[in-house]
Amino acid sequence: MGGDPLFAHGLSLAVWLILLGKVVAVFVIVLVSVLFMVMYERKAVAWLGVRYGPNRAGPNGWLQSLADGTKLLFKEAFTPRTADKWVYKLAPYLMLVPIMIAFSIVPMGGEITIAHHTTYVQLADPPWGILFLLMASGIAVYGVMLAGWASGSKYPLLGSVRASAQLISYEAVLGLTTATVVMVTGNASGFGDALHTHAIVAAQSGHLAFLHWNFIHTAFVSFILFTIAITAEMTRPPFDLVEAEEELSGGYNLEYSSIDFAWFYLAEYAALVTNSAILVTLWFGGPNGPTVFGHSIGPFWFAVKVLVVLYLYVWVRATLPRLRYDQLMDLGWKRLIPFALAWLMIVAGFQVTNNVSGSGFGHWLAQKAWGFVAIGAAIVLAVLFLRAVEVGGGASEVETAQQDRLAPDGREVARRGGTP
Amino acid sequence: MVQYLPILLLLALVVAFAGGSVAASRLLGPKRPTGAKEGPYESGIVPRYRLAARFPVRFYLVAMIFIIFDIEVIFLYPWAVMYTQLGVFGLAEMAAFAVVVFIAFAYLVSNGALSWGPRQGRGGRAPVQLARSTTATVRRVPRPVELIQGKAPLPLGDHGLEPGRQPEPLPAGANQQAPSAQA
Repeated sequence: MGGDPLFAHGLSLAVWLILLGKVVAVFVIVLVSVLFMVMYERKAVAWLGVRYGPNRAGPNGWLQSLADGTKLLFKEAFTPRTADKWVYKLAPYLMLVPIMIAFSIVPMGGEITIAHHTTYVQLADPPWGILFLLMASGIAVYGVMLAGWASGSKYPLLGSVRASAQLISYEAVLGLTTATVVMVTGNASGFGDALHTHAIVAAQSGHLAFLHWNFIHTAFVSFILFTIAITAEMTRPPFDLVEAEEELSGGYNLEYSSIDFAWFYLAEYAALVTNSAILVTLWFGGPNGPTVFGHSIGPFWFAVKVLVVLYLYVWVRATLPRLRYDQLMDLGWKRLIPFALAWLMIVAGFQVTNNVSGSGFGHWLAQKAWGFVAIGAAIVLAVLFLRAVEVGGGASEVETAQQDRLAPDGREVARRGGTP
Repeated sequence: MVQYLPILLLLALVVAFAGGSVAASRLLGPKRPTGAKEGPYESGIVPRYRLAARFPVRFYLVAMIFIIFDIEVIFLYPWAVMYTQLGVFGLAEMAAFAVVVFIAFAYLVSNGALSWGPRQGRGGRAPVQLARSTTATVRRVPRPVELIQGKAPLPLGDHGLEPGRQPEPLPAGANQQAPSAQA
């Protein structure tokens, strides 16, 4: 069974020191990458919009986020009269803490030996591994919901109700697509190990390089669904109607000021960094990559992949317009969830009889038969579901047109722009 | 269990960092509370109403349907970890479970439980009807002259008078712009 080999020989002083060093290192990595990301996003969005972006604080403005944080630290923190004081103060912690400790499961490299103690380049490799991601995003819902509710104000409540519905809608997709990765990993690495993030990365290595990565192994579909779901889970554009300024003037964190507001900001970008790292871990082989003169440079490849994913998020933000709320809910419930569930069963069908040995077309068919059965069943159910969406989602075009031609008292009126 | 130790240490560090920064901010920041500052945000005007205690029931529906899918995901994970050991039997069991949940979900969708758009279900009426254009509605609103002279009742019951009672005629010269019957 997996787990960090650091603890194989008990907890000596050296092990404690290495452990504390790793904890502080991970904390600093998350904080620095958040400060970098806040700045980088503003710069990149400005460049994409042919503007300069912030360019005053520090060289070329690269210390801007540090300046912002310091300014917020010195601002007055006040609580609205209408707020529920305890919950109001608790909510920022509920946002920040789970997402910052979620980074501990991300593998950033292979193994490293410090003073005869071998350890993973990853803070922790607990048995439930990737479920930690689902836990973190599950608790973050409480942060959003309680922040809006405890403010005792109108717009934060609306924003938080919206946000909670959005977050839980896409959490199911997240769970289903992550389960696909767990299945593929279990097939490669054997019983019991499949939830370990280290095993997930190890299962994606091999002599065929990136062809072993999960986004190819699961034929792109799960990867695309996961990316959409995690973007919505972070309330990044185009799913950012949680903080739609035009309608909600800020959303669930409207009544927060000073460092409490900074926590929401920090949590948002910590989620961006952590989730990008987890996306790389699950689908792009984490730190796997070519070696240089026989030396493994896992952390370098990991950083490169995470930076590419982070840039994609900024790019999407600068490009896509925001969804409408009914489009958001329809996408989540009527497209992504059925699709993710069907794809999970199809992947399971193709892999469940992989251990049938032999060669030739007959054996290949025996291996893959359940996959084709799953595809057939998925098509039948998809037809059923499309009919259900049609019945429930809205009147058909003909009926709507008939309705529109009738005035409230039943007589027919001319439609706008039509002939009388 | 020792594998959880690093996460606990990081948790302690993050909580200490967050709590320490909040304490520092309380010490460093000014404290000048005023009534306007501590009021709930209302676009700059004084809020007149309490916070609404109710919001649309649709959000509860979403939460309940989510619980169904969350439980399904919980059941999926143990199977996903060891589905090769369970083989075709496990696949068939899980497929049966997933299909039953999915058909229930399709029933909910066909009932319009997850429809957020303006048009709700077959035969439902759209809240915004194209037929309610100016030609259909403009004649129902009495003109101001008729209102002033008390010939027509107010269109809405929201004028603070008991039903049926007409508003007082305005004193002469109060509304120079409106043409009157005497003029």
